Amino acid sequence: MSDPVLRTENLTKRFGGLTATDNLSLSLRGGRLQAVIGPNGAGKTTFFNLISGLLKPDSGRVFFRDRDITGLRPHEISRLGIKRTMQIKSVFNQISVMENLWITRQASQRFLHPFRPASRDRATRERVEQVLEQIGMTALAHRIAGTLSYGDVAMLEIGMALISEPKLLLLDEPICGMSPAETERAVAKIRELARQVDIVIIEHDMEVVFGLADDITVLAQGAILATGSPEEISNHERVREAYLGRPEDEDYLEEAADA
Amino acid sequence: MIVFAAFLLTVPWTIPALINDFWVSVIAEILIWSLFAASTNLLFGYVGLLSFGQALFFGFGMYGVGIGIDQLGLSFWPAFGLGVAAAMAMALVSGIFAVRLTWHYFAIITVVFSLIFYFLAVSMKWLTGGDDGINFTLPPTFSFGATQWSFADPNFQYFFILAAVALCFYLMHLVIGSPLGKAFMAVRENDVRASLIGLNVYLLRLTAFVMAGFLAGVAGALFAFFGRYASATYMFYHVSGEGLVWTIVGGAGTLFGPIVGTTLFIIIREVVSTHWEHHSLIVGTMAILVVIFAPKGLVGLWRDILDRAMAPRAERAVSTEVRTEP
Ligand SMILES: Nc1ncnc2c1ncn2[C@@H]1O[C@H](COP(=O)(O)OP(=O)(O)OP(=O)(O)O)[C@@H](O)[C@H]1O
Ligand SMILES: [Mg+2]
Repeated sequence: MSDPVLRTENLTKRFGGLTATDNLSLSLRGGRLQAVIGPNGAGKTTFFNLISGLLKPDSGRVFFRDRDITGLRPHEISRLGIKRTMQIKSVFNQISVMENLWITRQASQRFLHPFRPASRDRATRERVEQVLEQIGMTALAHRIAGTLSYGDVAMLEIGMALISEPKLLLLDEPICGMSPAETERAVAKIRELARQVDIVIIEHDMEVVFGLADDITVLAQGAILATGSPEEISNHERVREAYLGRPEDEDYLEEAADA
Repeated sequence: MIVFAAFLLTVPWTIPALINDFWVSVIAEILIWSLFAASTNLLFGYVGLLSFGQALFFGFGMYGVGIGIDQLGLSFWPAFGLGVAAAMAMALVSGIFAVRLTWHYFAIITVVFSLIFYFLAVSMKWLTGGDDGINFTLPPTFSFGATQWSFADPNFQYFFILAAVALCFYLMHLVIGSPLGKAFMAVRENDVRASLIGLNVYLLRLTAFVMAGFLAGVAGALFAFFGRYASATYMFYHVSGEGLVWTIVGGAGTLFGPIVGTTLFIIIREVVSTHWEHHSLIVGTMAILVVIFAPKGLVGLWRDILDRAMAPRAERAVSTEVRTEP
């Protein structure tokens, strides 16, 4: 259990003159809910993009359960069981909630049958209904995804990430834009999921982070500022200085919502 | 739907009785060009790729048949097969490069491929007949002993084309509803998300491109038999553009949209062009009007009207139910 589920070695990504992740070497243990925090522009999303294959690092390596996945393409990484949600919510907008889940489930099959009706797949139907129930969206099953509220889209994205029995879930600000009630539901869901699957969560809401996380990694300017348990982090001198102790903590949430 | 199918099955008798023989071959031509438009639709309407290159594969279907019969001495079916295989092979080769790109880059590279092969076809006189194209004598389609069926018989020609086009549309219907077709739509909707759920976007686009090459190739091969010739004119990207207009006006992303659009424009062409040489003005105006006022094409418009006609009734049903509650 204490083997790292995810490990990076000297991961560097530059955008022109800007170094988004700077020689980042970190190791996230499995079986614990891992949170990554840090101010805007710290390189958190870039870190996720490098793991999930949407970006290629300029140098450095990524290991998933000791397997080198550097340079694999997004669909190959997805098929290894690493699923993610996006900071800017990303679903299939013009089709229904149910079809979103349906396609996502069938996408995990190696062979996509070209002639048999997709709807005839009973195993998929059952799994889709199960996930609809889990994310509490059964009543919205036939709504077109593009017409959902922001919080519901976020919830659908979580459903899509978990429908194919992932091994590692990367959640990029999953509750951003949710109402307090939705947040509560999503947090409960994430806590429940964490018992079955390794999760790394990026989140700005400190209440949520400190309530959920077993381990916290703090990034600033593309590098690790600190790692440790929630208590260690909240007592950490430099973290407090750089980040937590800011009097305008509330403003911070708004900034995150605007981002 | 059923009425439409029944109509198509009786065309060789009803049309000569109602108008004249000429319109039977116009309808056969509409069927062929509908299939051509369907190939554009598969790419644009279902995978989100705007191709101006479908005429290239149509042309390869034509030349496969023409060269097969005229130079290789093939009979009907091998020539047909050669045309379709040539179109698919060309789609595979050009697709390997083209589908790496999207949006206008993709559109541009498909035009470039079309132009290259158009000029090659015009200049390689020994193979393609250059500007004159290839005229060939029709081989029989089936022969059992002394009895033969060939495209020389207009009824046979019509029904053969109808059967081939119907079969292709049926295949397309199956693909659209299959897991593969759903994956195509996922790529159209959001290619980043598609890759993150484990879909190989490049391979899916390439698969669709080759499938579309198949549809265009069958259309081209049928058109070669229908006209008894093959010519580079049909390979020009302008022809691809027409297919695109028919698709968009009829309704991209719907199975029957290309048939509706193609039928409309070919009938306009046939009726108007005999009286007025600027019939393309009508075509252009209509295309612009549809794009502005019915972005989902005529089929989409029709569906919206149906939905709206149904909706108030459904609401009324609900309200009466409410009222009957004690
Ligand atoms: N595709 C890109 N091209 C250019 N610059 C980028 C790109 N993606 C990110 N950046 C830059 O890299 C830096 C890190 O961005 P990143 O999105 O990883 O930050 P983050 O920690 O997720 O911030 P936030 O909390 O605002 O989401 C930022 O300065 C950002 O502007
Ligand atoms: Mg971010």
